[in-house]
Amino acid sequence: MNETLSGKRILAVEDEYMLAQELALFLEERGATVIGPVGTIQAGLCLATRETLDAAVLDVNLRNKPVYPVADVLIERGIPIVFVTGYDELLMQRPYLGLPRCPKPLDKEALLRVLVREIATRAGTR
Amino acid sequence: MTERKVRAPATDELLRLVIESAHDYAIFSMDSEGLVTSWNSGAERLTGWSAEEIVGRTADVIFTPEDRADGGPEQEREQAFATGRAEDERWQQRKDGTRFWASGLMMQLEDRSQGFTKILRDRTEHHLANERVRLSEERFRLLATNIPQLVFRGLSDGSRTWPSPQWIDFTGLGVEASLGLGWLDAIHPDDREGTRTAWRTAQASGEYYFEHRIRRRVDGQFRWHQTRARAIHQLEGPPIDWVGTMTDVHDLRGLQERQKVLMAELQHRTRNLLAMTQSIATQTLRRSGSLGEFEREFAHRLAALSRVQGLITGVDYRNVDLRDLLTAELQAHDRKHLDTSRIRLDGPALPLSAAAAQALGLALHELATNAVKYGALARDNGRLAVTWRIDKRGSERIIVLSWKETGVSLSGTPERSGYGRELIERALPYQLGAETRLGFEPDGVHCTIAVPLQGAADE
Repeated sequence: MNETLSGKRILAVEDEYMLAQELALFLEERGATVIGPVGTIQAGLCLATRETLDAAVLDVNLRNKPVYPVADVLIERGIPIVFVTGYDELLMQRPYLGLPRCPKPLDKEALLRVLVREIATRAGTR
Repeated sequence: MTERKVRAPATDELLRLVIESAHDYAIFSMDSEGLVTSWNSGAERLTGWSAEEIVGRTADVIFTPEDRADGGPEQEREQAFATGRAEDERWQQRKDGTRFWASGLMMQLEDRSQGFTKILRDRTEHHLANERVRLSEERFRLLATNIPQLVFRGLSDGSRTWPSPQWIDFTGLGVEASLGLGWLDAIHPDDREGTRTAWRTAQASGEYYFEHRIRRRVDGQFRWHQTRARAIHQLEGPPIDWVGTMTDVHDLRGLQERQKVLMAELQHRTRNLLAMTQSIATQTLRRSGSLGEFEREFAHRLAALSRVQGLITGVDYRNVDLRDLLTAELQAHDRKHLDTSRIRLDGPALPLSAAAAQALGLALHELATNAVKYGALARDNGRLAVTWRIDKRGSERIIVLSWKETGVSLSGTPERSGYGRELIERALPYQLGAETRLGFEPDGVHCTIAVPLQGAADE
């Protein structure tokens, strides 16, 4: 198993337990340290504020509430975000529309490529 | 005076010629009883009666039978006799029974004993044209005042010349207040500029289209309307008259918004469901000893997921009652009516949110599967009681569900997939903030699930 994400700390926010476990397991298999997973905005906010992070994977819809408050904290901190969404594009709101996203059901390898790219881009800008 | 006297005989002849050649006018005379004494060529042409046929007979035959029955000819003569003249417009009848519209003038001759003269002019074409215009205007009026839309007439600059009664009813603005640009008072202040700008662009295209809010008098609500108008083109010159309608599209817009939300919800659920399916497949595969086992387990779990979906959508995208969820799950295993002597379901009506129904449904499926395979529903003397109630914990209300099997003598550790246990002990706390306990008591499985009502119940 390649460890592309070795040493990276990645926040996982997903409200569906099984999906959260799948995601966490996958990220760990690729060498990442998973922060979470958590399934609520409150818990997401808590980790997004406190933890040292290299990137975050956010489910857009948490129990019918948008995950945007968590995204705002991460954007403020300059931490790359990848959204996971069951939504059609038209529902994504403006400031978040330009951010990378992966549709559900998740193609994990595609997610991995996006994560690696976003982390590298961020490292390059610093 | 002298000249006139000299020429008098010639003048009579001239007059006769003039009368004879006035083809477009029926000119005839009759005595005081209405018997024809002279009949010109115009009269022959117009009525179809020749002078030979009618002179000496009554001129009443050119009246319609209805007018004759009403005494029309007599009244006309009486009026001419009393005032010197009688003028009217009416349908008249030809010899062949066809009718023509005529304007008629009857005058008493100077020598009253000579009777009357009458001049008729065929105005049928003119009358029919007028009638067509009148009908057309009546049709417009009926249409414009009976459709639900607010109708108006106006000029190219957007000013109004006529507001329909519907507009007056809807806005409470009177006719006077609506004329000119007064009608803009009923438009939402934020929409007035756009409304006027659209009139400027309409001048070039000859068509007006705009959506704006109009204040409804009864409740002061600003309701969205779609306004369309078109210029009436004249034969020459620029259009001056515009006719338009304002259609209430407020509810339609609301429905469109709602449809957008529903479509998004559908997208969300569908994608989530696919993701769930993918996850169940992975989890089941990981725990299966063979592909045959995977196939069986996966099919059952998919069926459970599908039952919950059926319940969610079956009640028109609304909530699912906990009892229905339980019943559906237990019936699926039994394939028959619930055996009430063995299974007891007891608790209040409890509508669940779609998310809670899905999570609980999958967990209950695992409990039911276990009960049917190894537990209370696998043997005759087994009993299952599922009870639930709403408890208070501080300010929070929680659903407490108890799944209690009895009459089962468990020999050794039950063989379990671990998937059901994970759903109950980990997934429910994660997704619903539930507190759960799953125990294997000496006489059967006992599981309690406590879920905060907030979020789980569809309130």
